[in-house]
Amino acid sequence: MLEAAPEMDWLDWILLVARVVVVFFAVLISVMLLIWMERKVAADMQTRMGPMRAGPRGVLITLADGIKLFFKEGITPTLADRPVYLLAPVIAMIPAFLAFAVIPFGTGVTLFGRHVPFQIADLNVGILWVLAMGSLMVYGIVLAGWSSGSNYPLLGSIRSTAQMISYEVGMGLALVAVLMYSGSLQMSQIVASQDRVWNAIPQFPAFAIYLIAGLAETNRPPFDLPEAETELVAGYFTEYSGIKFAMFYLGEYVNLVVVSSIAVTLFLGGWRGPHPSFVAWLWPLLWFIAKVVAVVYLYIWVRLTLPRIRYDRLMSFGWKFLIPIGLLWVLATGAVVVLPDVYGKGALLTGALIVVGAILVASLLWPLIAPRRQSAGETPQ
Amino acid sequence: MLSEYLPIAVLATLAVLFGVASLGVSALLRPNRPTRAKLAPYECGIEPARLPAGERFPVKFYVVAMLFIIFDIETIFLFPWAVGFRQLGLFGLAEMAVFIALVFVAYVYVWKSGGLDWREPAPRRAAAAPPTALEPEAREVVRAG
Amino acid sequence: MTGQEYVFAVLALVGTISAIRLVTAKNVVHAALYLVVTLSVVGGVYLLLAAEFVGWVQILIYVGAIVILFLFGLMLTRAPIGREALDNQQRGIAFLIGLGILGGLVYLIQGAFSWSGPRLRPSVGTTAQLGQSLFRQWVLPFEAVSFLLLAALIGAVVLSRRDDRP
Repeated sequence: MLEAAPEMDWLDWILLVARVVVVFFAVLISVMLLIWMERKVAADMQTRMGPMRAGPRGVLITLADGIKLFFKEGITPTLADRPVYLLAPVIAMIPAFLAFAVIPFGTGVTLFGRHVPFQIADLNVGILWVLAMGSLMVYGIVLAGWSSGSNYPLLGSIRSTAQMISYEVGMGLALVAVLMYSGSLQMSQIVASQDRVWNAIPQFPAFAIYLIAGLAETNRPPFDLPEAETELVAGYFTEYSGIKFAMFYLGEYVNLVVVSSIAVTLFLGGWRGPHPSFVAWLWPLLWFIAKVVAVVYLYIWVRLTLPRIRYDRLMSFGWKFLIPIGLLWVLATGAVVVLPDVYGKGALLTGALIVVGAILVASLLWPLIAPRRQSAGETPQ
Repeated sequence: MLSEYLPIAVLATLAVLFGVASLGVSALLRPNRPTRAKLAPYECGIEPARLPAGERFPVKFYVVAMLFIIFDIETIFLFPWAVGFRQLGLFGLAEMAVFIALVFVAYVYVWKSGGLDWREPAPRRAAAAPPTALEPEAREVVRAG
Repeated sequence: MTGQEYVFAVLALVGTISAIRLVTAKNVVHAALYLVVTLSVVGGVYLLLAAEFVGWVQILIYVGAIVILFLFGLMLTRAPIGREALDNQQRGIAFLIGLGILGGLVYLIQGAFSWSGPRLRPSVGTTAQLGQSLFRQWVLPFEAVSFLLLAALIGAVVLSRRDDRP
């Protein structure tokens, strides 16, 4: 058995659908503003004006670009695999939107006597959901690269995929560290557990790992090797134009919004913040938006400051630095929490276990660490 | 529990509709005047050439994907542990330490055998024997990723 | 029919069709995409059985990692890019093996549930419960998994090593 579906009347349905539609378009509009903000901040840092014409101070520039792309001729290259070629941009966009579903962006509001939470779904496995959607994000890129029937997209997509999966591990480890602190996978619980101190303070290494991995997951500079235009033209979306290109672009920026929102939710206290008591539902929302804008600003700042990293350095940084640090941090967090608690009763057994484990590991590692000896039959070169 | 997924299903439907509708409507409204040159794969102005079949990429990409699966599984095992490790106490910590250490052995092995080095080692062959006429080109392609 | 049964019917239909398309597809990358659909459907069935954690792990590991590895393998070896077929002539053997696996699974599942259907206890499927039983009851299998991972990785490195050293 599963519990019977809770009784929902037409008002519940309308509120549910309206909530989802509002969030969806809010994310779209936030992407629009985000792209404008990025261009303005970039212009400011490079002492130029940036977009000025469309709308007041150029705020509608993204809309203008979008309309232009919408009416642009779409090209399907001769060698492309048509169904997959059309599918790829849609697939690139959807997981980014879905990942946003578990993020609480406020406390909620009471409408017509019903509580409307500011969150699409508070899943029990919230963090896992985020990670799963992140792993699906790779498909848009792989399929775009393969189906284009062209060399640069293929090379770019393989490179990009390797980069994304490498940093996904680091991101997962950072999430595990948060999880150990909050003891729940549910986003609302994680926000609730930060009522006294934000996770970013005790979990600072995890926060740093998350931000760096997020940079790589969103393919943003300085980790924008998939689009390294000097070597790969434009990477996996070389063959895409018009609305299909716009979708990749949209997916990328929705992803940036999502990564920043998750950073805020898991590490910066979510929607929490001091606020006056009147219009109580509004302030958490504003706090959330302010924090997300701050994280996005950080990402833009990094983009404008750092040059692109060489591919081999990118991969070694991910594998040789981020992952070992992440694993050690997880174990260290565990040790700090557990050791003071239970030193005593089971110490004999567990101590023995640790020693056995250490010996086992040392014996397995020894052949690797030990200086290599020349075996008898081999002649030195 | 399943009812929690209802809003997500609505969101997914909306996202799919949005994607498909914008592709479809744009296809109806935009101009469509294909020419042979326009539809050719992008190749910086030279004749499009296919990457030769056979080994097209460094096998390292495959090792990275393999390594990723291993660490992904490890991360997944960390999830249920992280939720309940306070109740499991020192024993749980030791358990996880042994588990991580064993996977770490594999990690160290890959590192030592060069699986994590992305810079191509200087070809030892070049010093030993001059490459044949065909080889440099083939190596260029293999290294392109 | 209850809502769950309705969802299951849809999932079963989609899963079966994509599984058939998976084995009949001429293009290996298309086959891999059908595999993605089939594996996601299995994840959906886990969700229906109130095993939320297992369901998403299925998506995360199989769809997000294993199929990516397949795609990498295809691209590394000889999958044609774009619109070309890649197929072989081993349908007969594959059919026999598939039949054998089907028989074995039916036998096992019949033995486990004897046609009565599984009893669902949603409280058992939670992540915390899973962790408690995994790390208290099934300690040895859990540690054995790490050996398996170790062996898999070393195997991958050994196999991928190029023998172009003189």
